Amino acid sequence: MGDSEYIIEMKHITKSFPGVVANNDVSISIKQGEIYALLGENGAGKSTIMSILFGMYEPDSGEIYIRGKKERISSPRYATKLGIGMVHQHFKLVSNYTVTENIILGMEPQNKLFGFIPRVDIKKANRDIAELSERYGLKVDPTSVISDLNVSTQQRVEILKMLYREADILIFDEPTAVLTPQEIESLLEIIRSLRDAGKTIIIITHKLEEIKAIADRCAILNRGKLIDVREVKDTSTAEMANLMVGRKVTFTVDKTEADPGNVVLRVEDLSVKDEMGHEAVKDVSFEIRSGEIFALAGVSGNGQNELVDAIAGLKKAEKGHIFLNDKDITESTVRERIESGLAYVPEDRQNVGLVMGYTLKDNLVLKDYYTDKYSSRTVIKDEAKAENGTRLIQEYDIRSGKGNDTIVSSMSGGNQQKAIIAREIEMNGRVVIFMQPTRGLDVGAISNIHKQIIDERDRGAAVLLISLELDEVMNCADTIGVIFDGRINRIAKASELTVEEVGRFMMGVEKGGES
Amino acid sequence: MKRFLVKLLGGKEYQMLRISIFSIVLGLLAGAVILLLIGENPLAAYMNLLQGSGLLPKRSYAGKQNMFTDFVQLLDAMTPMVFASLSVAVALKGGLFNIGVSGMMMASGFVASVLVGYSSLAAPIAKPLVLLIGIVTGAFVGSLIGWLKYKFNINEVVSAIMINYILMYVITFFINSYYVDAVSRQSKLIGESARLTLVDVRAMGLKFNIPLAFVLAIIAAFVIRFLMDRTTLGYEIKAVGLSRSAASYAGINIGRNILTTMMLSGALAGLAGVTYFCGYMGTIQPGVIPSMGFNAIAVALLGNSNPVGCIFASFLITIITRGSIYMSSQQGVEIELADVITAIILIFAACSEFFRMYVSRLEQEILANSQSVE
Amino acid sequence: MIDTIIIEGLAFALPMFIMAIGGIFSEKSGITNLAIEGLQGFGAFAGAFAAVITMGMVSAGSQIPYYVSFIAAVLGGMLYALLHVMLCIRFKANQVISGVVVNMLAMALTSFLTKRINEALFGAKSDKFILDTSMRFTVPGISKIPVLGAVIKSVYPFEIIILVVAFIAWFVMYKTPYGMHLRACGDNPQAADAAGIDVYKVRTWAVIFSGGLSAIGGMSYAYSISANFSPSIYLGFGYLAIAALIFGNWSILPTFGACLLFGFARSGGQVLIQHLGMPSTYNDLVRTLPYVVTLLLLVFFSKNNRSPRALGEIYDKGKR
Repeated sequence: MGDSEYIIEMKHITKSFPGVVANNDVSISIKQGEIYALLGENGAGKSTIMSILFGMYEPDSGEIYIRGKKERISSPRYATKLGIGMVHQHFKLVSNYTVTENIILGMEPQNKLFGFIPRVDIKKANRDIAELSERYGLKVDPTSVISDLNVSTQQRVEILKMLYREADILIFDEPTAVLTPQEIESLLEIIRSLRDAGKTIIIITHKLEEIKAIADRCAILNRGKLIDVREVKDTSTAEMANLMVGRKVTFTVDKTEADPGNVVLRVEDLSVKDEMGHEAVKDVSFEIRSGEIFALAGVSGNGQNELVDAIAGLKKAEKGHIFLNDKDITESTVRERIESGLAYVPEDRQNVGLVMGYTLKDNLVLKDYYTDKYSSRTVIKDEAKAENGTRLIQEYDIRSGKGNDTIVSSMSGGNQQKAIIAREIEMNGRVVIFMQPTRGLDVGAISNIHKQIIDERDRGAAVLLISLELDEVMNCADTIGVIFDGRINRIAKASELTVEEVGRFMMGVEKGGES
Repeated sequence: MKRFLVKLLGGKEYQMLRISIFSIVLGLLAGAVILLLIGENPLAAYMNLLQGSGLLPKRSYAGKQNMFTDFVQLLDAMTPMVFASLSVAVALKGGLFNIGVSGMMMASGFVASVLVGYSSLAAPIAKPLVLLIGIVTGAFVGSLIGWLKYKFNINEVVSAIMINYILMYVITFFINSYYVDAVSRQSKLIGESARLTLVDVRAMGLKFNIPLAFVLAIIAAFVIRFLMDRTTLGYEIKAVGLSRSAASYAGINIGRNILTTMMLSGALAGLAGVTYFCGYMGTIQPGVIPSMGFNAIAVALLGNSNPVGCIFASFLITIITRGSIYMSSQQGVEIELADVITAIILIFAACSEFFRMYVSRLEQEILANSQSVE
Repeated sequence: MIDTIIIEGLAFALPMFIMAIGGIFSEKSGITNLAIEGLQGFGAFAGAFAAVITMGMVSAGSQIPYYVSFIAAVLGGMLYALLHVMLCIRFKANQVISGVVVNMLAMALTSFLTKRINEALFGAKSDKFILDTSMRFTVPGISKIPVLGAVIKSVYPFEIIILVVAFIAWFVMYKTPYGMHLRACGDNPQAADAAGIDVYKVRTWAVIFSGGLSAIGGMSYAYSISANFSPSIYLGFGYLAIAALIFGNWSILPTFGACLLFGFARSGGQVLIQHLGMPSTYNDLVRTLPYVVTLLLLVFFSKNNRSPRALGEIYDKGKR
């Protein structure tokens, strides 16, 4: 042990990736036995700094001291040796292995058959794991197979994996993003008891309430820089929020009062199953009028993806109906829906919104390449396609290396999004769906997109905006629906709801009907 | 060295073409090393390859033969390879592996032989009919594989392997039972009127084997190029090949697209089958899966899945296989050496994506170095 | 008659089984292996070469060349598998394509080398290594038991070797830490990596073992079917082994069942055709059975048939 009171000291860490400085001269020091939170928006650099601590990246410059000793952490394996464990946002579990097998993987207890043939001692391992889960109150059956377990149990397995490796520095990367409120509550309880057992805990999050609930200290990062480190009990959430975004949270969007017309999109008693076969959307009903922005607020994973996929035709509805201009489109193909005027800006730009290996101009006709505009008797009109590309690049300020002929995978995320939005807006749709349209984008781009969303409304489209950012919902919406656990708990005029109220419904604290 | 590699293979202009040529050169160099090891003169051996395939004059010719007849013979051998590699290339563009080209070739060659090859139809009817049967049979087998994939989610590589062997054994059974030639132990030679290669045509005092379908193969390559680059079908096939999720978001019917792609690929493989078995060979050897179907995978790769690239890659590989007969007779080198060299070239071609990544990494490194110096 | 079916069925099924286990090792670690065909051929080549050499050194009738050949085959197969390792792991080539070219090279190279070696050592340009026919043995006494006794009647020694090696392979796969790491790499290499396992190393060895195991199969066929090594070793049994392992859902025991089924279908068909006095050409129809059955199985049970999740994906440590 060094004489320092800190178990971890990261000094002047800088790390760049092509095009971005993810960490710029960040220094943090963490005390033995505290819960330390890293707060920041997407892209603030909080995951990067922890990935460095866990040995997944090496910093460009800076020093790391663990228990007072200078270390070069070159791999996760070495980090494990130093007693550092990490629960990643995407769990790293072998799906067809049992809980025990996953936990012991890489350091299996062995007995020797005939005294020399190494054999995994699975019986001892099962006993060890049962005992370990007992000791920390992490309930899990050691012999059940991972693919049969729900997300929160899988997370407990990840925690047990760290404990089995005798880690005493535990890093949690956005641990609550995938959990229900009850699960969150019990996770926070687990984290507290781990701290009481003497573990040092680092938690990456952008949820203020959680920090308030469990953290001792909190470091706030913004755009790769460390802004401040605060004692949580002396800091209000509002203060933290201001520090996090680096300015007062006041970016409201200029927008006139909505002037809704006829109902364009109507969803009736819709139920949709997720990949695992669980009902993810349950009896959802709502309607959107022309000239109205309907924003669906909710924590990630409460059925938003399934709902939108069902409306877009990418997923089958189990039950219920979807009407577009009074026409039942529940059984229609994706193309029929597009042709009836459904435009959709999907959340996953790279895998869904764009064909990454195609050029920009090819991507800009992704939905209407086959129409008379761009083809005659199945032969594509190259000139019309190029003209369309050139025009949209100009109008929507899409920046790229070689204009029309740029392969989109070489473009920045912001410009990829501009390309998708340009294409979808140009469709002149009656319904326009924006799913997480500003995720990972910078402030300038965000306000631009918000303006485009409102322009779409003013043009007379029915706009469905799905967002995990409450600010975005509050700023853009005319009507707000809150989805929790696959149900829409509350639908009301935006003007009638406060942020706090929406937040409570999002968390499922309040469960009301429609107003 | 690194800078040299970057200069050679870096940049975007014709990069894949340069990498393909690089693979060929590496393969030929490796072949030269083997030749040196067994005490042969590589230069002479490679000259023999060109001489044997009618690209350089031989020292002497048998009666009614010269360089030109050899060259026509080369085109005859090359014709099915062009079709076969196009078949693989089309499937690759659609994100599918057609490892079933061999089976499709046998099926179409056999069906065409039985229905037309042993009939007494006149040439003007028989020959187009052979082509048509080839297309239909190949397309049928192709769509079967496509259907299994989209209906039952069976990996196309797996089902194609099964279908290859089923077809081979069934065809072997029928040949041995009904169509076998007692002397050659192969299927009986098909009639001249149905054959797609005009055998022993006398002209200018020479004897030619004229591949009627060669022009068709070249046309097919350009048609496929047009189809892929300029039509909505090509746009859809490539979109599905690059990203199924984005394609289905765009409203493209993935299942139907897989079916269409495999049907097209199968039709081309069928043409390869009839030009091989009812053209170049005139007969089918029972009990053996034609290796051309597998070679075509690598040839398509060497041609970077580009239709015109496939023509050149087929040309090159056929030079080696055809020329090896002459090389073997002149140098006393085993004829299999040509296959070894071919395989080595294709091994390097299989690494082309790695070369591309490696060079682009070197480029970035050099760029970073030059920036840090400034 | 039933005796013949059992005896010949086992003699065919067991080499197939050991090749299929080879395939399972590679595929369970996440590397698609269509190269089994080439690996078994190259292994048989190396083994036959060693046998021909040792035959000249020992007295006629000695069993030494037989066992030497199997050791050499395993080494040859493992060595040749390094090519697939290089292409798939080091050069990140597409694994299907790699399998195809590895097979192509095996066929060309072994034929070429066989001719070369025959010419250099024996002065004859033959593409064959002639082997002695393998001895067969019958366990006296209990082999007289009806039906079941046939299992230990006219047994090739390699059948015993295969059963022993298969048991070891099963143990390694399901009971040892290495086996656990191997299967983890085929399901979720990122998870294996996070658990401190060197994914590249595990996969490299898996493919090398795959080569060694396939080679035993190839060598066995060289002794049982043809009594020589020649290019006719490439009859497609490597691909049949792949069918068997898919049929067996990438698990060793069910794959054993699949191989037995394939073997008995083959020998049973042959016996039946002989018995009914049908022409031997009908054997070719019987040979389609394994493939037809596998295809039907996939059609009807494709939901239960699960390939390793990360199979064929190129693993890049740098990416997360």
